[in-house]
Amino acid sequence: MSPMASDSTIPAAPLIDARSLTKHYDGFSLQDVNLTVDEGEVVGFVGQNGAGKSTTIKALLGIIELDGGEARVLGTDAHDLGHTSAGARTKEEIGVVFDTVSVPGHLRVADVGHVHALAYSTWSQHIFNRLTRAFALDPAKQVKDLSRGMGMKLSLACALSHGARLLILDEATAGLDPMARDEVLDLLRGFVEAPGHAVLMSSHITSDLEKIADRVVCIEDGRIVFNLAKDEITDEMGIARCRACDFETICASGIIPEREIRYRKHDYGIDLLVPDRFAFAENFPNIPVDHMTIDDYLTLTLKGGVR
Amino acid sequence: MKRAYQVEMAVIRNYTRQLFGLGIFVAACTCVGMQSLAGAPGVLTCMYFIMGALATSAYDEQNNWGLYRLAMPFNRHEVVLARYGAIATIGLIGMAAGMIGALALSAIATVAPLPGDLSATLGLTQDNIQAMVFSCALCAIVGSGVAAIETPIYLRFGQTKATQWIPMISVLLFISPAIILGATGGLGNFAGIADTIRGIFAFIETPVGAAVSLVVALAVSAIILGISAAISLALYDRREL
Repeated sequence: MSPMASDSTIPAAPLIDARSLTKHYDGFSLQDVNLTVDEGEVVGFVGQNGAGKSTTIKALLGIIELDGGEARVLGTDAHDLGHTSAGARTKEEIGVVFDTVSVPGHLRVADVGHVHALAYSTWSQHIFNRLTRAFALDPAKQVKDLSRGMGMKLSLACALSHGARLLILDEATAGLDPMARDEVLDLLRGFVEAPGHAVLMSSHITSDLEKIADRVVCIEDGRIVFNLAKDEITDEMGIARCRACDFETICASGIIPEREIRYRKHDYGIDLLVPDRFAFAENFPNIPVDHMTIDDYLTLTLKGGVR
Repeated sequence: MKRAYQVEMAVIRNYTRQLFGLGIFVAACTCVGMQSLAGAPGVLTCMYFIMGALATSAYDEQNNWGLYRLAMPFNRHEVVLARYGAIATIGLIGMAAGMIGALALSAIATVAPLPGDLSATLGLTQDNIQAMVFSCALCAIVGSGVAAIETPIYLRFGQTKATQWIPMISVLLFISPAIILGATGGLGNFAGIADTIRGIFAFIETPVGAAVSLVVALAVSAIILGISAAISLALYDRREL
């Protein structure tokens, strides 16, 4: 077997590979967080405010020291990203967008491009100019005068202009109007289609993740609650709208394993998480089953009862 | 390191320009008070060192720039060394601007007839030039000293309500010996070293002495900032943003 043939059979290493990440603060701990992002994937990272999304992202980037576990990003240990020259070089290939436009307010849009051109050896002024034009960003405007949405567009333009292979986006679409969000999602789709690329995207706007994510990872109180293919949630699962008597019948039927019955009571009935909505519909044709959204799944998982 | 330094300078560039206007105002007030241009270069030198350290740290807090910079292709050592490189550069810019401005004004005062004895007071004389050089030397030590105290604290804790007092405390540390000396009868109380100090001052009042004082002051500033940088490297390594 030729070396090339051998290479093609070896699965590519994940672009992000985090195992058992642990970090303790007063009143909050990141506990045993496992997270991988493979080539070609868009991974949506969801959770409530303060659940640990940003802490995890900082841990991946080596901005905070871990108390336990190990994270490798593009094959480089997260600690090395912040502390060694080799790690610094790896960061050339990581585009990062935090939840605000992260440059001092007095800089003009053109200055922001200049600062990034100085920082990144792989910077493409051409791509930056094209993106700022597409986003209608005035080069003479100061960052402090940009709306939140325009600021996020500027941050995205920066992240996409230095030949990154991996994008790590922390609430990057927050503050964007629906049209702009669609533009950004199109850009991200185009980005991830290129070989060797991937995106980790934390977001509260789960409708964006439904449009673009391949996998959804949820964190709550510093622990990963679920890590599922997005299609498993939106295509296979369902949400049954049942009455109290129907609910008891379903529970007794055994179609959903014991202790995996997740439900939420309302004044008008009970919402029930159905792992396979097609099988459920065959068994209970009189009980309506809707498509599951990521929002529904989050609500049922985080706030629903378990029986 | 070079790229981190260039980024630091690109961020602070506008502020350095704006500071010049403020520096001119403060220098003008000092000159009117002293009835001499001699203090102007020193005022600008000191201001640029101190405000350079303050402003670069303040920008770190704006929009989480300090956090985002750690996601850029720099390691933490490069960030710290770039910070000190920028502070030193800004201080030297202040010194150069102060010297050039004061010399230019002196030259104008020498050739242009000014009312009263202003032409003689502000003129381009050897004494005035020596005084300008010495003011730069002394203020370079004070300015870099304050910057050297401020910067490790800001790099470790950021600019908080508590750390905002650091510049004032460090300036007080520098001027308190002079205040104490003045209040207690000056060097007369220290008979053992008074002659040595008078001898040093006499040497500084010569052209060579003024030049040597500037070289020594720059060397001392470099050492002070170097020690401060070593402390900052250790502190910033553990900083969690």
